[in-house]
Amino acid sequence: MKTIPPSCPEPQIGPKYWRSLDQLAETPEFRQWVEREFPAGASEFTDPVSRRNFVKIMSASFLLAGLGVTGCRRPVENIYPFVKMPEGYLHGVPQYFATAMPSRRGAVPLVVKSNEGRPTKIEGNSDLPDSNGGTDHLAQAAILSLYDPDRAMRFALNGSAQTRQAALDALTALGNAQGDGTGLAFLMEQSGSPSRARLRQAIAAKFPAARWHVYEPIDLDLGRQAASLAYNSPVFPFYKLDEARVIVSLDCDFIGSEENMHGNIRRFARGRALKGREDSMSRLYAVESLFTLTGVNADHRLRVPPSMILAVLARLAGNILSPFEGDQRLRKLGAPAQAHDNWIVPCAQDLKANQGMSLVMAGYRLPLVAHLLVAAINETLGAVGRTVEFRQTQPSTEGGLADLAAALNAGQVRTLVILGGNPAYNAPADLNWPQAQAKAATVVRLGYHEDETSWNPATHAATHWDLPMAHFLEAWGDARTADGTLVPIQPLIEPLFGGMTELEVLAVVGGLTPTSPYEIARETFRSIGGKSEDDWKKYLHDGFLANSAAPAANVTYGAGELVRSLEQITPAPAPGKDRLDVVFYRDAKLDDGRHNNNGWLQELPDPITKLTWDNAVLLSPATAKALGVYTERNAQNQKFFNHAVEVTLNNRTIRGPVWVQPGMADDTLGLALGYGREKTGRVGRGAGFNAYKLRASDSLYYASGALVRDTGDASYELATTQSHWSMEGRPVVREGNLEQFRKDPAFAQKMKLEEPPVVAPLYPNPLDTTRANGLHQWGMSIDLQRCVGCSACMVACQSENNIPIVGKEMVGKSREMHWIRLDRYYAGPVEDPQAVTQPMLCQHCEAAPCESVCPVNATSHDDEGLNVMTYNRCVGTRYCSNNCPYKVRRFNFFDYNRRPLNHLYKSPLVTETDGEWELLRWLNNPDKGNLPEDEWQLARLVKNPDVSVRMRGVMEKCTLCLQRIEQAKIAAKVKARDSDHIRLSEKEGTVPKTACQQACPAEAIVFGDISDADSGVSKAKSQERTYKVLDFLLTKPRCTYLARVRNPNPEMPDYKEHSLPYTSEEFDKGAFSPGESQREPGGKGAL
Amino acid sequence: MAAAPPLNEAAPIQVQAPPQALRRVPLVANQRGVGWLSDRIAGVIEGPTPAWWKISFGISLTMMTVCFAMILYLMSTGVGVWGLQHPVMWGWAIINFVWWIGIGHAGTLISAILFLLRQRWRTSINRAAEAMTIFAVMCAGIFPLIHIGRIWYGWWLFPIPNSNGIWPQFRSPLMWDVFAVSTYFTVSVLFWYMGLIPDMAVMRDRAKTKIRKFGYGLFALGWTGSNRHWTNYEKAYLILAGLSTPLVLSVHSIVSLDFSVSQLPGWHTTIFPPYFVAGAVYSGFGMVLTLVVPLRRMLKLEDIITVRHVELMCKVTLATGSIVGYAYMMEFFIAWYSGNPYERFLFLHNRAADPFILGPLFHVAPAPYWWAWWPMIFCNAIMPQLFWFKKVRTSMLTVFVLSILVNVGMWFERFVIVVESLPREFIPSNWGYYSPTWVDILQFLGTFGLFFAFFLLFIRFIPLIAIAEVKGVTPQADPHHPLGGAKTGDRH
Repeated sequence: MKTIPPSCPEPQIGPKYWRSLDQLAETPEFRQWVEREFPAGASEFTDPVSRRNFVKIMSASFLLAGLGVTGCRRPVENIYPFVKMPEGYLHGVPQYFATAMPSRRGAVPLVVKSNEGRPTKIEGNSDLPDSNGGTDHLAQAAILSLYDPDRAMRFALNGSAQTRQAALDALTALGNAQGDGTGLAFLMEQSGSPSRARLRQAIAAKFPAARWHVYEPIDLDLGRQAASLAYNSPVFPFYKLDEARVIVSLDCDFIGSEENMHGNIRRFARGRALKGREDSMSRLYAVESLFTLTGVNADHRLRVPPSMILAVLARLAGNILSPFEGDQRLRKLGAPAQAHDNWIVPCAQDLKANQGMSLVMAGYRLPLVAHLLVAAINETLGAVGRTVEFRQTQPSTEGGLADLAAALNAGQVRTLVILGGNPAYNAPADLNWPQAQAKAATVVRLGYHEDETSWNPATHAATHWDLPMAHFLEAWGDARTADGTLVPIQPLIEPLFGGMTELEVLAVVGGLTPTSPYEIARETFRSIGGKSEDDWKKYLHDGFLANSAAPAANVTYGAGELVRSLEQITPAPAPGKDRLDVVFYRDAKLDDGRHNNNGWLQELPDPITKLTWDNAVLLSPATAKALGVYTERNAQNQKFFNHAVEVTLNNRTIRGPVWVQPGMADDTLGLALGYGREKTGRVGRGAGFNAYKLRASDSLYYASGALVRDTGDASYELATTQSHWSMEGRPVVREGNLEQFRKDPAFAQKMKLEEPPVVAPLYPNPLDTTRANGLHQWGMSIDLQRCVGCSACMVACQSENNIPIVGKEMVGKSREMHWIRLDRYYAGPVEDPQAVTQPMLCQHCEAAPCESVCPVNATSHDDEGLNVMTYNRCVGTRYCSNNCPYKVRRFNFFDYNRRPLNHLYKSPLVTETDGEWELLRWLNNPDKGNLPEDEWQLARLVKNPDVSVRMRGVMEKCTLCLQRIEQAKIAAKVKARDSDHIRLSEKEGTVPKTACQQACPAEAIVFGDISDADSGVSKAKSQERTYKVLDFLLTKPRCTYLARVRNPNPEMPDYKEHSLPYTSEEFDKGAFSPGESQREPGGKGAL
Repeated sequence: MAAAPPLNEAAPIQVQAPPQALRRVPLVANQRGVGWLSDRIAGVIEGPTPAWWKISFGISLTMMTVCFAMILYLMSTGVGVWGLQHPVMWGWAIINFVWWIGIGHAGTLISAILFLLRQRWRTSINRAAEAMTIFAVMCAGIFPLIHIGRIWYGWWLFPIPNSNGIWPQFRSPLMWDVFAVSTYFTVSVLFWYMGLIPDMAVMRDRAKTKIRKFGYGLFALGWTGSNRHWTNYEKAYLILAGLSTPLVLSVHSIVSLDFSVSQLPGWHTTIFPPYFVAGAVYSGFGMVLTLVVPLRRMLKLEDIITVRHVELMCKVTLATGSIVGYAYMMEFFIAWYSGNPYERFLFLHNRAADPFILGPLFHVAPAPYWWAWWPMIFCNAIMPQLFWFKKVRTSMLTVFVLSILVNVGMWFERFVIVVESLPREFIPSNWGYYSPTWVDILQFLGTFGLFFAFFLLFIRFIPLIAIAEVKGVTPQADPHHPLGGAKTGDRH
């Protein structure tokens, strides 16, 4: 059982006045605060500029939280510091609560850590049957959005602040005036929340004439629509990638940008896991225009422009479905792809040869007909029920954005309620949404930021309410995961700025009772999960309702819809240099732009381009050359000044920098959505260009006929974290194919350089003697076979270890601070390369080169084999980094944690913050920081109190989450009492997980005690694929890698030319190969 | 008193003057007498302040201010104001440190080693060279201190008991650096000051104002020129020379260990200690030449610092420059011979491959810093070979130009070693490209201000040639001179 949390008590790093709580509580001013209606704080704003008042308000809401209203979970009225401690609460010991992060239709089940009432770290909930505790990077970064200083913080009517109560009264009045709902329209985002569905029904009953619309700028739900049509019943597909032996992805980046990423990665990685030579692994074919993570992990990748993908699919379908009543039509559709037959035919044969164990997936960008075709193929291949299940769902009956815009323009909507989303920014350009929106008499907008859709002085409705939205960690709700399991959204903190949820707004506008989101979610649970309080408590404790996954639907397939759709489709013409194809894609980090003001995500390198803080016009090298915008990449051009181009599509023009992307389809432009915001917070301002401006309703994801014009301007700098793309034949990532692995499972160990003979060392390694004192010996193993490169580990590490963001300018100077990075290398021909990814972090060398060169003993070894870093001792000579062959150490060139990123170069001697001279500010209060006060107060809340926040001038690096190890040890010691059973053991579940390991949905990272032969890490390291990077240096890293294995099909054309992965081929050719003699007998050809 | 009978009355010994080819050029030209020497050297101080001095000093002071302004900016803001970046964590600061330290080698070599080797020509230049050493080491010493991330904790590198309760880490070459450089600086200052005492007394005795008398008197430590003073002085001088001699070798050897102890290709090289010492002497002599050649003219000291002195220094430069050139070849040979592909890659792909000759020859893309490697080879390995020609050695203009090239070349050598090894080493994903910022550049230029401000003060207030010693190498000072000394002075 979870305990009732305390009422948000004093944070360790909280403001000073907390220490005189009682005293404060007696003052009349304070009483006045207390006696006001709760989130009064938010109402204190008079205009957005006065956010400086934030401190006052912040402290007040904390105090209120402590004194009056809160308890994060239920209204507990604790006024004074604990006389009696709440049960189970220990000051300084973090608590964990189960909750979930809602995504478009699904949710990521979470367990969130709370320190003294403030959420500090998001982790996956491993208790769910369909989960391993892994999450995606978006969930990991969500905690930062909670403490976003640019969040919407006020209730505003036509741009001027109002009290919360006034807003609620106005909403109630608005609801009362709606009659039967004529002229009332709701615009929502997709949601899987049963509560919202329930409220919607209730409101629809009350206002039968009200309109309901749902808009997602990037709709990942087409698979469900197609399945519902094909099976003539409301169902959604649930993919079991682990069951599949052959997977074909048609522009479906299920690893990087489809719904339920973490679930897909987990299942995909399981399906490819290898232990011994007898294991088998799945084979992935990818057909795509962009280079995506799915393409990176594919064994065979076909690079075609978007207009060709449907043709390839049609041809593939033709090979599999035949005989089929739409044959004729299919053949016509697939005709342009005839040139790719040598790829398509063996692929189709492979699919057919693996009947029942194969799976074809289509991506969100493809039209409905493609999804229908895929459903037909899966049906024919016997995949249904085995690799893809169709499960029951509710039909969706809402209209789209275009209908709503039409209704608005026709004057049919008087009252428009916008719940979330940002249509003014991301609506298709032809809808001219801001004008349409202004046609309603009253607009009520619930938003997380005051953004483009908020009240706009230029175009706005007569009455425009802006309501601040609560973060999912602040308010109650519910959701369903990808398989339909019901999960609670449980708040950990009272809304910081008094924000509301969409449930609350719906209830108030609809005149329903209760209006509290807690009561709404509780009520919904009664109808689904049981009436008893114990059921509810168990549900909250577990973080899910057991056995609530959607049941498999008993459906029969009908091809009628497919044949009808095939009749309507006309094949798109092939692109050319002066009529380019365009792909609008969901950005891997900012999604559709909703995470635009999240610094961790802005600075997270894109998994493929490794770009940060920007999007770019992606072009293949050949196309860039043909258009004359190719920039020769050489060692000096690290700054990546690329040509800025103007892209014109249907008379709409945008301008952006070119990024030459190997592996892109020719004559194709890739434009990431979500950047170039006009009204956003301090973080997102100025990042990238807005590709939505080109997007029209008829070409949401693919468009053709774009023109690119070089502006001749090459002054825009793109910041990338990896400037060199090739591995230069070095055995850094070692890779083989399945056949080679079966022949010689230890192939990776033979790729090392000759090691120098070990002679008596001048200075014996101290670890050799001190390791006898260590109870454990920590180590890590990373399976490159499982790692898909999703980057969740990077954000998890950033969150756990208080790693600051450094801003675009600093990333351009390679000063990013990520302790774990994902290296991405290309190998093979530049037009159509293979790519590999490799997480690189401190290798915790037993003979660490960094340690012997530090003059002040700041980096040293502990007896458990960790290379530890003592920040207090570090003076910052940086010699350790120079001598680190892996270059995993990070240096605080500036006070990133304390100073605004645009002020880094300004000396504190001449700058001021909040009107106070920075030096004086620091002298007066060294704990104050040089960030604007509002940012500073929030920036402190997100920090993990168990990890030091580093100042400038010190070196830092991965500690293997030492704080977690220490906490586990302390817990073991407390538990052991007088016994000497203090050793952590995996069997007892006392060995902690590192943050990266915990976040990894692919289970690629294994950490543990290598002195315990039964531990997971020992077993992983004993596999024959194990190798050490740069082993010839004899640094003896504790962090080892398991070589990557590809599973190519010998019938495929690329295999016939290159039987080895390109990286191995380069290694064999290069100077780094130790020679044929050490490799398999028979030479290269046999490998 | 009876006169002693002549030893050999019949045939007075006729000593033939040696043939012209064997005659040496006198160390003090034009048979200048001791009085002239005192007047001329002391006159530099006692005469009116020349206009060029005032202008140069003004410029130097301005640049020195820039130096301190840059330090202030750096300290208040962070090391990030420099161009350092991942993976190049050492840049101009360390280059400048090694460069200045190298320059500081000539002084002590001239004063100590040449003293022990009885190279009497040293006396005309040793004082100025030692002063140059001290100021160069001061400039050098700034950089390791300010380049660290937390400057205010720089003292943690000294073995002082502190609140951390922990000693420095003696395995680190940076630690050795602290000892090597501070010892070198201390001994150099002592040695220099030792040699100054008799001259301070000269200045005291010549002084016309009370302030001068008091000031020089204070530093003359009551020197009277008695025999006992001279005996003690000579002994102490010899001992200090003996102490300094190993330091000349150790300082730069230890600085070189900063690199060779690491395991980076291009740094991890066993020939570094001798190669660095040779390079240091080379650059030190280069700097001495740069200073002395114009000074002898401007201060009209051509009779004391003669063309012969310049020539001899050119010869040392030639010798050490050739050692450096040999070391470059050896590095390449070992990179090839070791079979270490990372080292091969570094030398060819990072350093040598240029777009015109070596790159096309080896089919290699141009190295990112090829433009720094070639000046190094040109200035350090090729240009000093011109010193084989006497014409070059005796033309002050060419010597001056070449001496500047020596300093430029040695700066590039440090650039090549420090910066060209780091940006592209083991794991390609780390690779980057380092370039300095305006702060780096001004910081470096600022140290010239510091150096020249001190040096100008030195020539204005301290005899820049050891008056007492230079008198000792005049022919007339030698009572055993076969030709009766004072007359021709062509042997010594």
